[in-house]
Amino acid sequence: MKKRANFLFIEKQDDVYTVSMTPELQDDIGTVGFVEFVNEDNVKKDDPILNLEASKTVLEAYSPLTGKVVERNEKATSEPALLNSAKTEENWLIKLSDVDEAEFNQLEDA
Amino acid sequence: MNQNERLDYLIGYLLEENPNGHELAQVEANSIADKFELFRGLCNIRKPKPVTDEFVEVQDAFLTKWNHDREITRLGDLKPVQPQIYLWKGDITTLAVDAIVNAANSRLLGCTQANHDCIDNIIHTRAGVQLRLACHDIMTEQGRKEAAGKAKLTDAYNLPSSYVIHTVGPFIDQRGVSPIKEQLLASCYQSTLALADQKEMDSIAFCCIATGEFNFPNERAAEIAIQTVNDYLRENESQLNVIFNVFSEKDLSIYQRLLQTNE
Repeated sequence: MKKRANFLFIEKQDDVYTVSMTPELQDDIGTVGFVEFVNEDNVKKDDPILNLEASKTVLEAYSPLTGKVVERNEKATSEPALLNSAKTEENWLIKLSDVDEAEFNQLEDA
Repeated sequence: MNQNERLDYLIGYLLEENPNGHELAQVEANSIADKFELFRGLCNIRKPKPVTDEFVEVQDAFLTKWNHDREITRLGDLKPVQPQIYLWKGDITTLAVDAIVNAANSRLLGCTQANHDCIDNIIHTRAGVQLRLACHDIMTEQGRKEAAGKAKLTDAYNLPSSYVIHTVGPFIDQRGVSPIKEQLLASCYQSTLALADQKEMDSIAFCCIATGEFNFPNERAAEIAIQTVNDYLRENESQLNVIFNVFSEKDLSIYQRLLQTNE
């Protein structure tokens, strides 16, 4: 199941929720040149999860859900333009666990 | 020293410190207004590096007088158009309120284009070179550019207000306004108001964020500004007094119309 919130996609697979870029966000910010993740493992909805510097905007991205960050797309730190990719395998940001499924279900369908 | 002598000293200092500044000084500045423009340009291109106490002393003496020789407006001089909401047209650097809001860019160091007529330029010029130094400290500590939609607080130095809150609006390119950009503009207002409340301020003056160099359409920007401020004050039971400071006739008429409709 795929949802959207805070201009990001959230895809649920088993108990892991993968947060990734939406095409609208990619179009709005332009080519990403710098990525810095926030090093906080327990995030609440709307907490900052990473900072992006792109050709058109400098942006802080906010977590669409409360949960525990189990993985970050560290590859994007050295290769920021991955976040401009159309593929979720490349443009994902973080993976969350310990998410309240009801909170996820309430989000807008993607 | 009189104002003329102070300007001569300041210009001399800035030219000695920065040989590139001589390009600005090619036209002879004789009148005090010309000298001020040269001083302004030299401050605009000045890198955020330390400055002598003597320079600061002379600059502060000059700017205090220069800024206060104009008509200063206080909250008490204005009549609210709605509870806690004020509309005022004029130069934001003449407002003696708790904080004025600066429409900054993501480097947050103030406009670096000599004598450019933008709000970021005039706020930094009239505050003094300390403002860029303070912003530089904040940015060095942060270690990355300032994201759109957030807010940073500094002292206002020689301005009549107490503080400056710096916020970076969304830049609108040929693709136009998008929901993300609208959200970022609303965030500028929310972050600034939250910071003002956190510092227990009583009055704040917003410029028309993002409508200048960043091309946000004036009408839509005003709608978002008013809506966001009203929502914030209500939801947070905030006692802040908010001035919408406009500079152009166009923005004045937009805000007049929108604020009357809301009554």
